[in-house]
Amino acid sequence: MRISEQAKQESRARILEKAAELFTGKGFEATTTRDIALAAGLAAGTMFNYFPSKETLAMTMVTEAFRNGTTDFYRRRTGEEDLTEELFLFIASGLRRLRPLRPFLGPVLERSLSPFPRKNVCQEGEAARLNHLEAVQEIIGRHGFTTTPDYVAMTMYWSLYLGILAFWTNDASPNQEETRALIDYSLCVFVQVISGAGTDRGAAHAR
Amino acid sequence: MHAENRKTTEALNMDVLLAALPKESATDPTGRQLAQLINRIANQKVPVNSFSRIWTLGSLQARVTAGYLAYWLRSRFADADKRQQLKSAAHLAAALKLFGTMGYLRGAVMKIGQLLANLPEVVPEEFAEVLSALHFEAPPMHFAMVREVFLDEFGREPEEVFAAFDRQAFAAASLGQVHRARLHSGEEVAVKIQYPGIARTIKADLRNLRLLLQPLCLTIDWQDTLAKLADIERMLLMETDYSQEARFGKLARSAFTAADQVVVPQIYDEYSTARVLTAEYLPGCHINDFLATDPGQGERDHFTHLLTVATYRLYYRLHWLPADPHPGNFIFMADGRLGLIDFGCTLTLSDEEWIFSNVAIQAALDRDLPGLNRAIARACRFDDPDDMEPDRLEVIRSGFYWFMEPWQQEGVFDFGDRNFFLRGIDNVIEATRKGYTRSLPMTIWSNRFTFGGRAFCYKLKGRCEFRKIFLQESAGWQ
Repeated sequence: MRISEQAKQESRARILEKAAELFTGKGFEATTTRDIALAAGLAAGTMFNYFPSKETLAMTMVTEAFRNGTTDFYRRRTGEEDLTEELFLFIASGLRRLRPLRPFLGPVLERSLSPFPRKNVCQEGEAARLNHLEAVQEIIGRHGFTTTPDYVAMTMYWSLYLGILAFWTNDASPNQEETRALIDYSLCVFVQVISGAGTDRGAAHAR
Repeated sequence: MHAENRKTTEALNMDVLLAALPKESATDPTGRQLAQLINRIANQKVPVNSFSRIWTLGSLQARVTAGYLAYWLRSRFADADKRQQLKSAAHLAAALKLFGTMGYLRGAVMKIGQLLANLPEVVPEEFAEVLSALHFEAPPMHFAMVREVFLDEFGREPEEVFAAFDRQAFAAASLGQVHRARLHSGEEVAVKIQYPGIARTIKADLRNLRLLLQPLCLTIDWQDTLAKLADIERMLLMETDYSQEARFGKLARSAFTAADQVVVPQIYDEYSTARVLTAEYLPGCHINDFLATDPGQGERDHFTHLLTVATYRLYYRLHWLPADPHPGNFIFMADGRLGLIDFGCTLTLSDEEWIFSNVAIQAALDRDLPGLNRAIARACRFDDPDDMEPDRLEVIRSGFYWFMEPWQQEGVFDFGDRNFFLRGIDNVIEATRKGYTRSLPMTIWSNRFTFGGRAFCYKLKGRCEFRKIFLQESAGWQ
């Protein structure tokens, strides 16, 4: 018997929902794919048809949150923002959507978004990274300047962003407000560098 | 051409610094050593020099401030042996650098500068008191940051919460910034928004300060310094809770009637949280703009009267020391009313402190010398006046007499009298130079309250019937 497309979508949604509950309750590491399948009322083998791994499952949630965050960003953007402010709005909108996943996000992001070379690249993680950077490129392009080569600007941005994510997953301040200060300062540094403003190419320190 | 200009500016800076900095008669009579030290440090680049938000000793005002810090630190080692002095000189340079790069201390130092600017002469305040003047000035927030704070605090964007909201802040506040807005019901309001994560920075900066002062740990007053730093930290952290300030604001508002001509803005609770404070907007100007209109003596006296009534009303009725006499907290309104804003830094005296404070005042009013001496000994943390060096007792007591002068004079008291004001400052300088700084932590705030208020009235060149006001305000509330 072939199951309908609707039934497939329902199963997929149920898996995501149950996985989020388990990740939050037991933690990402302690949750097995078996636990998830059981909770979703599926055979373990069937679940692999939907999600080949636990990482993929978690990163699907992350990608979804990022996508919603980007939609929020475009809706909230007024066009009056300067570059630092606009990048801030972009990152903050994404984090707000990621917030429900925060309790279990640390190990997920560490595995899926690590900038170090890996044997098994998480496809969802890679896609999320590329989408994110594409949006950043678009934002920067709108403001029209970078004095650094693109790969330098983007690598720098991504390093700062991963640092922000790492801090945020562990930020115990109310509403993760300390992360907001960190984003603010990080973006000021980034924008100063790519705009070439205030840099003296290290001359001040050549003593 | 440019280089020449810069050279001239440097020389000019040196002259101004030399004129402004304190002199140490024994080791540095011209003050040149100190000025050179400050300039040398000021001209060193810090690794973050392109990051404009971090303070360096760039401005002359900042250098003068640092000079006073250095002077104070040095004075603590006046009796130390040669080796200790050398060590302390090295420490001094390191300390000044650290001082300049600490988190939000840029704002703190600017605040000290403000305090100094508030006084007509540059005054070497006792260090803990200077510190108490510090306020944490957060970096400016762009609108996207403000929006995030609103989403967390109210679940809605500023434009949804208010009928209109200015994207640009119109004033900097100690821990954030103030935006103008309009409620859906039409009222004009001022919305104060706190920069995120400020409490952590305050703790970190004070931890650094303790480190910076560590070489003093063997001196006799170290415990006293620690107690004062702890009190400063407590007050600053309290200031980060806007809901506390809202409570203060409401209490203060209830202490005045329309006839008083003193107005405290209404707080709008439904638009206020621990991080956002929405209050009625008071139209008017600050002291400098007021003075720029060249007001007549009558106007000056009028506002001096209102300020005195306002502060002593709060003191007698609520047992408060409004410990932040920042000129920006007083608004001269066109209709002759005085606006009081910002109650973040308000010390509520404990019953014990309140009684103690009045015992001292009463002893001075009654000319009860033994009683006054006992009160002074206690304020200086001695068990008995006989435990104090006679000179210490004498200096502190003459300071207290100076404080009490307006209380004892019938009729009009002239706070614009330069001679009177300088006598007060001279006393502080003398006490500082002699190292008579040991005191209860509450004296940080009472001194700041007194000096800030008197400096303000001095600048205003205002007069009032102080004794009459004190008698009126204290009647039935003691």
